[in-house]
Amino acid sequence: MRLSVAAAISHGRVYRRFGLSPRSRLDLLRNLVTALVRYERIETPWARADEMRGYAERLIDYAKRGDKDERAMRMADFWLTEKDLIHKLFKVLAPRFQPHAGSYTRLLQIPNRDGLDRAKMAVIELKGNPLPPLVRPRRDSDRTLLNQLLKGYRQDAQRARGT
Amino acid sequence: RVSSDGKTPKFQPPPKPVIIDRKTKKEESRFLSPEFIPPRGRKDPLKYYIERKDMIQRRKVFNIPEFYVGHILAVTTANPLASDKSSRFVGICIQRGGTGLGATFVLRNVIEDQGVEICYELYSPRIQAIEVLKLEKRLDENLMYLRDALPEYSTVDVNMKPVPRMDNEEIPVNKVQVRMKPKPWSKRWERPKYNIKGIKFELPEHKMQAAQKWSQPWLEFDMLREYDTSKIEEKIRKELSEELEK
Repeated sequence: MRLSVAAAISHGRVYRRFGLSPRSRLDLLRNLVTALVRYERIETPWARADEMRGYAERLIDYAKRGDKDERAMRMADFWLTEKDLIHKLFKVLAPRFQPHAGSYTRLLQIPNRDGLDRAKMAVIELKGNPLPPLVRPRRDSDRTLLNQLLKGYRQDAQRARGT
Repeated sequence: RVSSDGKTPKFQPPPKPVIIDRKTKKEESRFLSPEFIPPRGRKDPLKYYIERKDMIQRRKVFNIPEFYVGHILAVTTANPLASDKSSRFVGICIQRGGTGLGATFVLRNVIEDQGVEICYELYSPRIQAIEVLKLEKRLDENLMYLRDALPEYSTVDVNMKPVPRMDNEEIPVNKVQVRMKPKPWSKRWERPKYNIKGIKFELPEHKMQAAQKWSQPWLEFDMLREYDTSKIEEKIRKELSEELEK
């Protein structure tokens, strides 16, 4: 039940509060971004993944500018705590996403965490990663009405072409 | 005319006039007034579009010159209580605020040892003329610290003549370091959040370092706070140039 309407109104504030302070919030998100760049698919609470998504996509936009750019290099240096990932960002991820204009990540919800907190978990992954896909696109079964009608139409067309 | 050796001199055509093409320079210095750029938010862009149409209508009738913070302006407004029904105020522009039709600018001057600041609305119908007397940019976007500076830095001569300016020249930046009155000030200008470059701080070293305690170095890396206006500006410039040509 809605305990307080006032608690849900944010008056246009878009950034969630994490950790102990604004610095701590950025550090937390920085660790998550580093992990995402390293493993390309991570499982975290949904709120953190959602917050981190914006930063990850902007980081890739900066990386697309090229590593000669002073500002891009400073951003990558701040956001990636493990310095070998800076090379991966500029040499592997930037060319991979060069044809796209945006939306380099995919966020999918998974069943709640098993611990006491039952937190809403999500999986965030970079598109085009080498791991097996999370969602297999399933074709509709042959038994549906529409597919049966289409099958019949195809067979009639073949018979008409044959004779 | 008889030449020295008896022959008629060969006709020397006059030197051809050299035409300096200034057109390319003019296109580069495209100034877009800051009140045209819509702020970040979830409002419908239709609202800003309608406001821009009204702003363009007003600009067609009344000329609002290009000016920045730090320029010295003279504004004549309609005043029913004055004898010629208009009043003139000269001052330095210390701040430009607001977006859309409510855009304002604050002019500051010191008249008979009393500091006066007047906030005018750019698109108000009461304004009859805005003249730019002196063009100069300053190191900061907001000169509110002039309130706590010595009065000589805010005094502007009321009968100042407009300083002539060559077209297509860069607007000069005045790198003056302003000296302040003794503390307390209206705001703690030494703190890094104001990021003021135009004050000559005569505070002791330990006070300057204590002020750095409030610095937030992570803020420049917070990517989501950046508002990239280049594409929006392009669209608005195109719209403006189309409308003003009509």
